[in-house]
Amino acid sequence: MLRTLVIGYGNPDRQDDGVAYAVVNALRQRLGQARLDEDETGLEQLGVSVDSVFLLQLAPDLLDVAAGYQRLIFVDAHVFPDVEDVHSVLVQPEYATAAFTHHMTPALFLALLQTLYGCQPEGHIVSVRGQGFDFERGLTPATVEQVAPAVERIQALLAAK
Amino acid sequence: MAQKITIEPVTRIEGHARVTIHLDDAGRVENTYFHVDEFRGVEKFSEGRPYFEMAQITQRICGICPVSHHLAAAKAGDNVAGAKPPRPANLLRELLHMGQIVQSHSMHFFHLAAPDLIFGFDADPATRNVFGIVQANPELALKAVNLRRYGQQIIERLGGKRVHPNLAVPGGVNAPLSQKDRDAIAAERETMVGYALEAIAIAKDLLGADANLTNSFAAFPSCYMGLVDAEGGLQLYDGEIRVVDAKGQKMAQFKPQDYKEHVAEHVECWSFLKFPYLKALGWPQGTYRVGPLGRLNVADKIGTPLAGAEFGLFKQINGGKPVEGSLYYHYARLIENLYALEQIGELLDDPDILSRDVRTYPPAELIGHGVGVIEAPRGTLFHEYWTDEHGLLTRVNLIVATGNNNWAMNTAAGQVARAFVDGTRLTEGMLNRVEAAIRCYDPCLSCATHALGQMPLHVTLHAADGSILDQVRR
Repeated sequence: MLRTLVIGYGNPDRQDDGVAYAVVNALRQRLGQARLDEDETGLEQLGVSVDSVFLLQLAPDLLDVAAGYQRLIFVDAHVFPDVEDVHSVLVQPEYATAAFTHHMTPALFLALLQTLYGCQPEGHIVSVRGQGFDFERGLTPATVEQVAPAVERIQALLAAK
Repeated sequence: MAQKITIEPVTRIEGHARVTIHLDDAGRVENTYFHVDEFRGVEKFSEGRPYFEMAQITQRICGICPVSHHLAAAKAGDNVAGAKPPRPANLLRELLHMGQIVQSHSMHFFHLAAPDLIFGFDADPATRNVFGIVQANPELALKAVNLRRYGQQIIERLGGKRVHPNLAVPGGVNAPLSQKDRDAIAAERETMVGYALEAIAIAKDLLGADANLTNSFAAFPSCYMGLVDAEGGLQLYDGEIRVVDAKGQKMAQFKPQDYKEHVAEHVECWSFLKFPYLKALGWPQGTYRVGPLGRLNVADKIGTPLAGAEFGLFKQINGGKPVEGSLYYHYARLIENLYALEQIGELLDDPDILSRDVRTYPPAELIGHGVGVIEAPRGTLFHEYWTDEHGLLTRVNLIVATGNNNWAMNTAAGQVARAFVDGTRLTEGMLNRVEAAIRCYDPCLSCATHALGQMPLHVTLHAADGSILDQVRR
């Protein structure tokens, strides 16, 4: 199996924007790993064939961690009307500037990995449709129902090679 | 006919702002305004909360410099409670603070400021950014990433998380430092010092390439403010507040709790960001600058060897008088970055750094009022709290670092607009120069106004009748 890092990111204080936290913890449970508490990122618990972390956003300081993996699976919320509720897509490295100083896409993350660390892990995005993004904790019922299918999609990717 | 140019948003800064440039009938710049339209309201919604929550609440004002608010709030809480932290606790708080200085200053130079200096103000915006630097010089970009990572990891080792750490509490900190974490921080420090020295060399080359521009770009006299230690040396964590005038003469030096005797805030209708000023001189004569340039202009020395030597060179720029050019903020920022890395070494070598005596528990009866002041990466940060007998906040006042520089950013933008903007022939590079003047101050507008903004991204030049004469898009 390719050594894999599952990177969940989002804001748990904005309802479904934090769905990746639930997905990462559900995955960890299925893999027999301890769940991440609210203040934990998982960065201090790496070292097995499938590691997982949860962060507020993708950031440059994650690059040196990610450089040690052969496959990256990014998990986030989406609001695209024309794709499935759990949407999985292969992602390629690509440079693109952003209006915000702190917005980094998976494609940009992979591009920086390639340029700065000379590595080209396989990249996937598994995104879950969000229904509500109010200022509160907890997922909407419709998004809660997509957590298990999202985990299954990730496990299918893990089993692929 | 009179015209108005709007730059919205100002790019490569933290937070959201716009600049309007008002032209006279001949197309010359008449007035320039730096508008901050965010509104946070932290001072108000904190009322009723227990004072000891503020170290967690206020650091969520911002994800860029949360540690500054965390520590200022804890210091104010120390005074509310009447609980003086033990020395080891202050060492750990300062270590956390140095981690933030390193990550913030490194990030600003390489990510936000360097693209203008390396590629030029008129370079194609598609490459005039950090990704252009990554592609042009990946080795340098990797060093920048590692400097930021190093600072973030110090914060994580001490406070459990890279953003919004949990360490400082009223009366001290909630955990000692482990030997393992101490050694891990120490192991990479020398390498990071090397990177910091390299960054200074790059900045000096870039700023020296056109000395006339560097000396004149957004250069103007002002007062300056910063913390100093007992010997007048640079202090970022604790000390007295010193103010010098435009000639470098000391105007005032006072304890943080006395700040209200010296500082007041002015309001303009066109911005949510207030304008602090010195009461002694009144508004607007009493305006001052804070942050790296302000701090190095008020300090007599820097107490660490490498940064101290660089400080000596800095002081020669204007013959020992305050350095006025806004572009020198970038140089001053990198000197502070170097100081922070050296200070991390001093702290790690202190015999008390691993002590388990890290908390003084508050007495039963609270003082009920406290001030906490710290030098955030962007400047002097004031937190002041009033509580009832139960410790619930009845009033909060925050003067945030960037707010102290509000007048200066307006002045810088206006000066550069007058020098470079030609209303009859608008170019993207002209407007980028106006933004670059603001970027020198590394503003954090999310902090200073205590949002979520919409992000339209174009500049339009309107005639007096509202018709569009010209547009520039980014």
